[in-house]
Amino acid sequence: MDNPEVILNIITGSLKLINILAIAGMAIGLFFTINKSRELQKKSDKLTRSLEEMDGQAKLIVRTDMELNKTQEELDKKISGLYALQRLSRSLSTTLEEGQIFRRITASCLEELGFEKACVLLWHEKENKFIIHLSIGYLENEGHIIKSFIDSEQDKYLDLIKKERAISSTLLQQDSQIDKNKLSHIFKVNSFVISPILPKEGKKGFLFVGTDNLDVAVTAGDEELITILTNQVGQAIENARLFETTWKAQQELEKKVEERTHELTLALEEVKKNSKRKTDFISSVSHELRTPLTSIKGYAAILLEEKLGKLPAPVKERLAKINLHSDELVQMVNGLLDIARIESGRAVMKMEAQDLKDIVDKTADLIMIQCKNKNVELVTDLKGKLPAVTGDRTQLERVFINLLGNAVKFTPEKGKITIRAQVKNNEVQVDISDTGIGIPPDALQSLFQEFYRVDNDVNQQVKGTGLGLSLVKHIIEAHKGKIWIESSLGKGSTFSFTLPLMK
Amino acid sequence: MYISVGLSTEKDPAMAAKEAARLAISNMHTEKTDLAIVFSSIDLAYPVTLKMLSSSLAHTPIIGASGAAIITNQGVFKHGLAVMLLSFPTGVSLNTAYTKDIKAKTSLNAGRELGNKLLSGFRDMRRVISVIFSDGLMDDGSNFIYGLQERLGKSFPLAGASASDNMRFTRTYTFFNQEIFSDGSSGMILGGRLNFGLGIKHGWNALGKPRIVTKAAGNIVYEIDDRPAVKIYEGYLNRNILELKKELKRISVLYPIGIYLSGEEEYLLRNILSIEDDGSMRLHGNIAEGSSIRLMIGTKESCLNATQQATEEAKKALYGQIAPLEKRKQRNFALVFNSTSRYMLLKKDSDKEVDIIKEGLGSETPFIGLYTYGEQAPLQAVSYQGQAYFHNQTIAILAFGG
Repeated sequence: MDNPEVILNIITGSLKLINILAIAGMAIGLFFTINKSRELQKKSDKLTRSLEEMDGQAKLIVRTDMELNKTQEELDKKISGLYALQRLSRSLSTTLEEGQIFRRITASCLEELGFEKACVLLWHEKENKFIIHLSIGYLENEGHIIKSFIDSEQDKYLDLIKKERAISSTLLQQDSQIDKNKLSHIFKVNSFVISPILPKEGKKGFLFVGTDNLDVAVTAGDEELITILTNQVGQAIENARLFETTWKAQQELEKKVEERTHELTLALEEVKKNSKRKTDFISSVSHELRTPLTSIKGYAAILLEEKLGKLPAPVKERLAKINLHSDELVQMVNGLLDIARIESGRAVMKMEAQDLKDIVDKTADLIMIQCKNKNVELVTDLKGKLPAVTGDRTQLERVFINLLGNAVKFTPEKGKITIRAQVKNNEVQVDISDTGIGIPPDALQSLFQEFYRVDNDVNQQVKGTGLGLSLVKHIIEAHKGKIWIESSLGKGSTFSFTLPLMK
Repeated sequence: MYISVGLSTEKDPAMAAKEAARLAISNMHTEKTDLAIVFSSIDLAYPVTLKMLSSSLAHTPIIGASGAAIITNQGVFKHGLAVMLLSFPTGVSLNTAYTKDIKAKTSLNAGRELGNKLLSGFRDMRRVISVIFSDGLMDDGSNFIYGLQERLGKSFPLAGASASDNMRFTRTYTFFNQEIFSDGSSGMILGGRLNFGLGIKHGWNALGKPRIVTKAAGNIVYEIDDRPAVKIYEGYLNRNILELKKELKRISVLYPIGIYLSGEEEYLLRNILSIEDDGSMRLHGNIAEGSSIRLMIGTKESCLNATQQATEEAKKALYGQIAPLEKRKQRNFALVFNSTSRYMLLKKDSDKEVDIIKEGLGSETPFIGLYTYGEQAPLQAVSYQGQAYFHNQTIAILAFGG
């Protein structure tokens, strides 16, 4: 071991070994480093790849989002347009005045439809020109420019109205006679829709709507929307016109009715005045007549009683006639006075509860003698127990006596008179029927007039005042009742009247 | 502090101005009015409106802007004019200013000018916040903010709204006293004993893989992942450049570009104003080269969630600054700057946003707001030091109390 060579050898060998080991170590190190960098590279590749993938996904997201937004926007626009149209339609349908129709189209409505400018031009046939009825978004002088432009090309626009179709800047065909660019320039818009307004009758024209927004392109949907709007406007104009006509007619009618009512009122007043004058006249004349009549009757009576000396038979006979006729005259005057009193309301009616059966029995008794003399049957047919009526006893008796007297007078021998009474709708209806000669239809109307007498044989033979039925009518009406006649010639007549029940 | 709001939906601008002013005045329980903030729908934004307002309000300083719609406690109004009158307690200071002809001056210079004007006479006071309204069609709004911040300080709280019109992108207006103008900006700076809380959220979520802006300048992005910028939309939406151009407004609202900002909860959104034939895209606000971006997607639900979060954030930020809890009984008011994109997305559900804000702030807190073509507000992550950025698609709620 002491040998330096050996030592040297060992050292050299060791060094070699170390060298070898070092090289091996380095190789191993290198091996690991290469490995690590490969791994890193892999990772980096992976990262780049996922980044690219992520970017690809981002593209997908953006594109989908873009489409979604666009659809959403279009949908929003359409919905808000439809809402605006619906509101406008409602408002238009309630407009009945032509002047108001275009005022309903407001700037805010228009904005919701996607436009900010609008014009309505209607063709005035009489003046032979277009007139602006609505202008939104234009100054006055701009309106003048538009007006003169349309005037210069009025044939084209009249043609457009005739074609009854809307046009728009997007869908306007190249060969159309309307120059899109010129129109856009005059109306100061980028896109527009023109739609004709076509009421069935009256002024036709067109609605122009437009926007200067460069981002907005008018679609077929817009065209449809505006067409619907102009249809509504046309309908509204039509409605307004119809309403105007109806309204005017009604106004005229009302005016006529008013005039006629006024005339009638005046006439009625005149009639009332006349009637009062007549009543007053009759009343005063009757009074005036009564005094001399009483004298005549008095003197005739004195003479007849021969208190002033004996009278020859022919004189007596004439005097008796004077007496008789004077009585008739007194009766007539009294009748007239009664009518006048009742008419003028001067007659005092003592309105009390009356038993109708009592009155009927009493008057029937009175008339019975006449009936027997003439061999006429008198029947009373009162349905059950009649409730009390309101009336004046004396006056009601007069009604019955007059009507029954007439019945006997006009009923031939072996005839029959029937008195019926029954309750009907809160009143009592009395019918007095006879089997008499009847009344001709043309006489029925005048029957209740004073001094009217039907022209027949009976009346020619039997005297009468012609006041009886008139008096009856006045009495019944003073009782708030009604009186009427049904009659057929040769068969008989029925006089019916009503009286109110006692409350 | 006294606050009152007057709202009119009259069709005639002069009548609307008269009515809104009358209502606001009648609700105000003090003679002293310091400021009127006015928001108007575009159909009422006329010189006569401002003239009538100014004379009705006895020449109280007015700032405001036009919008696609206005917002009040009563809801969203597509046609309307809202006036908020404010009377601040002693210890609160205010200055209003304006700038015009931004295009001629360049946005950067106009921003600087507005900054200078706002600060004049305000140097020694404790400044709290600046609120500005500017033309919504300004091409490089980011530069305007940049210029403004050069003067006001990069981390000074700044909130703003870009005026809008009826989504036609034709003309927008800002109001200053009795004037109304396009291509300008009006604003105010508030200082002293006043606290505010700002919440800003959009609710859009990132989708797809992150991409890098490889070539951009200002508000134009030329290349994304070394390919023409428009390819990203062509790929995701499966539409060619022509189709994309045609549907740009919708696409831009629904799927804006989101810029990743480290530490921020939400991505910063950018709408696309136009697609050029070379495949580049003009954005509504600047974008930096090297930004990590993603395609964003939003839903009505996520939109409304954002409203709630923004309200909560504003409330928390405001109340967090007030020490004793009893002080919560003080009068608060809020301004709402809401993106027109959200209006387009939510449509009829826009009123739900109002309900959410009302519920969040409490029914007794009056607020008015408008729909904007861009919102300006600070970012919250510490690394941004509260610097204001130009936002798209957000709802910004700015609550005040003091």
